Amino acid sequence: MKQHLKTIVVFLLIVAVCGGLAVVSGVLPIRASDGHWAITRWFLNFSKERSVAFHSGGIKVPDLDRQDLVVKGAGHYEIGCLQCHGSPKREAPRVVAYMTPKPPDIASLVKEREPEELFYIVKHGILMTGMPAWPSLQRDDEVWSVVAFLLKYPELDHAAYRQLALGELDLNEAPDTIEGADGGSLDVPHHIVESCAMCHGLEGRGRGHGVFPVLAGQNEAYLVETLIAYRDDKRHSGTMEAVLGRLDVDDLRRLAEYYANLPATAALPVSGTDDSPTDQERTEAIERGRQIAMEGLPEQKVPSCADCHPIDGSTINDEYPVLNGQYADYLELQLELFAEGVRGGTDAANLMQPVVDHLEPEQMRDVALFYAAQPREESP
Amino acid sequence: MNRVHSVLRRWSTRWLFPIVALMLGGCAGPQSALDPAGQGAEDIARIFWIMVIGATIIWITVIGLAIYALRLKPGPHHRRRSGVWIIGGGVIAPTVILTGLVIYSLAFLPQLLARPPEGSLQIKVEGLQWWWRVTYLENGEPDFELANEIHLPVGEPVEFLLSSPDVIHSFWIPALGGKVDMIPGRETRLTLMPTRTGTFRGVCAEYCGASHALMNFTVVVEEPEDYQQWLAEQRSPARQPAEELTILGRELFVSSGCGACHSVRGTDANGRIAPDLTHVGSRHKLGADVLPNDRASFERWIRHTDDVKPDVLMPEYHSLDAAELTALAAYLESLD
Repeated sequence: MKQHLKTIVVFLLIVAVCGGLAVVSGVLPIRASDGHWAITRWFLNFSKERSVAFHSGGIKVPDLDRQDLVVKGAGHYEIGCLQCHGSPKREAPRVVAYMTPKPPDIASLVKEREPEELFYIVKHGILMTGMPAWPSLQRDDEVWSVVAFLLKYPELDHAAYRQLALGELDLNEAPDTIEGADGGSLDVPHHIVESCAMCHGLEGRGRGHGVFPVLAGQNEAYLVETLIAYRDDKRHSGTMEAVLGRLDVDDLRRLAEYYANLPATAALPVSGTDDSPTDQERTEAIERGRQIAMEGLPEQKVPSCADCHPIDGSTINDEYPVLNGQYADYLELQLELFAEGVRGGTDAANLMQPVVDHLEPEQMRDVALFYAAQPREESP
Repeated sequence: MNRVHSVLRRWSTRWLFPIVALMLGGCAGPQSALDPAGQGAEDIARIFWIMVIGATIIWITVIGLAIYALRLKPGPHHRRRSGVWIIGGGVIAPTVILTGLVIYSLAFLPQLLARPPEGSLQIKVEGLQWWWRVTYLENGEPDFELANEIHLPVGEPVEFLLSSPDVIHSFWIPALGGKVDMIPGRETRLTLMPTRTGTFRGVCAEYCGASHALMNFTVVVEEPEDYQQWLAEQRSPARQPAEELTILGRELFVSSGCGACHSVRGTDANGRIAPDLTHVGSRHKLGADVLPNDRASFERWIRHTDDVKPDVLMPEYHSLDAAELTALAAYLESLD
C-alpha cells in the first residue's frame, strides 16, 4: 500500500515537472490560427454553459417589450457590437473569422438563450474570448436595453435593423452645414454624423424616444464637462464610453459647440404607449411638478429646482444643464440614477444628491413631466 | 516625619493641585450650570450645592462611624445602641432626608413650568439635523429669522417655543436654565430669565445623529439698549455688496443656486431648507458653533462641508475655483 502511494506521488511529480517544463520552454502554441483541440473546445464550452446557467439564476427580468428600450439597445449595438458580431445590415468583417473562439452569429444564439443569460453575458463579458464586459457595471438599465434589442434581433431584416439603429439618418446624405441658433449656418463636424447623430439627431432633438436626450441649445460648458466626465469614467454609461473612445478633447469641444449652437428646440413628440396617462392625469402631474420645481418641498428638505435650472429656459450657470423641453423619461431616469448613486457626472453633479435623497419616485415623475412641458426657447 | 511631609508636598504639587484646578476649570466658562446667569440655572445650582453639602456631611458621618467602630473601638459593641444606629441611620434618616429633598426640589417645579407674563418676548426654535432655526416672534407672528444664535435682553423673561421637523433634539443653555426636549409633531415650551450679561453656549442634549456633537449655538445676553439695536439690525434686509469682490461673490451666490436652500432677505434667495444668511457675517460662529466666523472658515465650509460636519445635508461645491471661492466667502462675510 505504502509502495503504491509512493509510486503515485512520484508519477504525479514527474507529470507536474514535465508540464511546467513545457510551459516554461514556450513550446506550447497560443496561436488563434490553430483553433482548439476538439476536446478542449468541448470542455471550454461545457464550463461556459454551466457557469452562465449558474450565475444567471435569480436575475429578475424587467419588462423588455418596449420600443424605446429596443431602439436604445440598437444604438449601442451599432456602436459597440457589430464590429465582431455583424448585423442584418452588414456581415461580420472577414477578420473576425480568424478569432478563436469565433464571435457567434447573434440570430441563432439568441434563440437558445434566456434573457437573464443574455444579460449576464452582455454585462460581464466572457474570459479569454474577446467578449468585453459592459464598460459601466453600474448601469444595468443600459444592459437590459441591449437584451431587449437582442430578443428582437432574429426577426430583423436589413431595413428593419437600419430603422432601429439609425432612424431617418442617412450617413451618405448628411448635409455639410445646418442652420444655427443665430440664423447663420453651422458646419456639421464629421464626428457628429459618425458618432452622435444616429441617436441624438443632426438637429440635436433625439429620436422621439425618451432614451436619447435633447442636446440642441444645451449649455456648452455643461456639454464639454459632461463629455469629459464620460471619457474619464466620472459619468457612467457603457454606450457613451464606447462612443467617446475614438475622440480626443478637441473633438469633444467641437461636438459640444455644435449642439450648444443649434436652435433650442424641444424634444420630438413621443409616441404614446399603453400606460400613457390621460390628459387630465398629465395636467395634474405637471401642476404638482411645477410646485416642486418652483418652491421645492421644504418639509421634505427638498430645495426648489428652478434656482439652478430656471424654468424660463434661461441659464444662471453655464455648468448646470437646461432641462426645459427635455424628454420626461430621460429626466426621470437621471433622477433615479442619482438616487441610486450611480449616475456620476461633472464636478457639480454631487449637488443633486441631497435633492434626490428626499424625493419620492412619483415626485420625480411629476417634476420630469413639468420640465418636459416647458418651452426650451428662452422667452424674451 | 520630615520625609513624609516632603513626599506629601511633592505629590500634591505634582498631581493634586493640577487635577483639582482642571476640574474646577470646568465649573466656569460659557457652558457651565455651576456658573449660572439665569434664574432657572441659579435654582438648579442651589439644589446642586445643597445636595453636595448634605452628601458630604452624611459621607463624613458614615466614614467617621466606620473608623470609630473598626479602629478606635474594635471588638463587640453594645447591642441595643448598635441597633439604634442601624435603624436610625439606615432606615429613618434616609427616608427623612430623601423625602425632604424631594419636597424641596418639587417646590421649584411650578416656577420652572410657569408661563411668563403676557407680552413677554417669544422665540421659536426648531432643532434640525444639525443646526437651529431661530424665529423671533412679534405678537405671536414671525418677525425675522436667523440661525444658531440667540440674543436676549438681561432681566426680562423669555419664552421659547421648541419643535423639531426631523428627530428628537434637546434645547439646553446650561448657564441659563434646564433643558427641554424638542419632539417631532409637538411643541414644547421653556421659560428662561437671564440675570446677567455675557456670551454663553447652548447645546443639543439629546443624541440626534452623526453630527450631534457639532450642533451648538451662541446665546448673547445684553443690556436692553444693545439688544434693541441688535434687533433693528437683524430685522433689516441684507447689506448690498459694494466692492468688486463682494459683488462677484453675490453673482456666484446666485449662479451656484445657493438660494434654492438659503434665504438672504432683500434678494431673490428665498430657500427654506437651510439657515437664513441675511446677517450671517454678524454671527459669533459658523456651522452651528463649529468654525470661527471669518473668510477662511466660509471657504472651508463651502469646499469641505462634509469634513467639517459629517453627513451634513449641504453638498460640497467643487465646481468653484479658488478665486471664486474667495469671492463667495467675502460676500457672505460682508453680510453683517
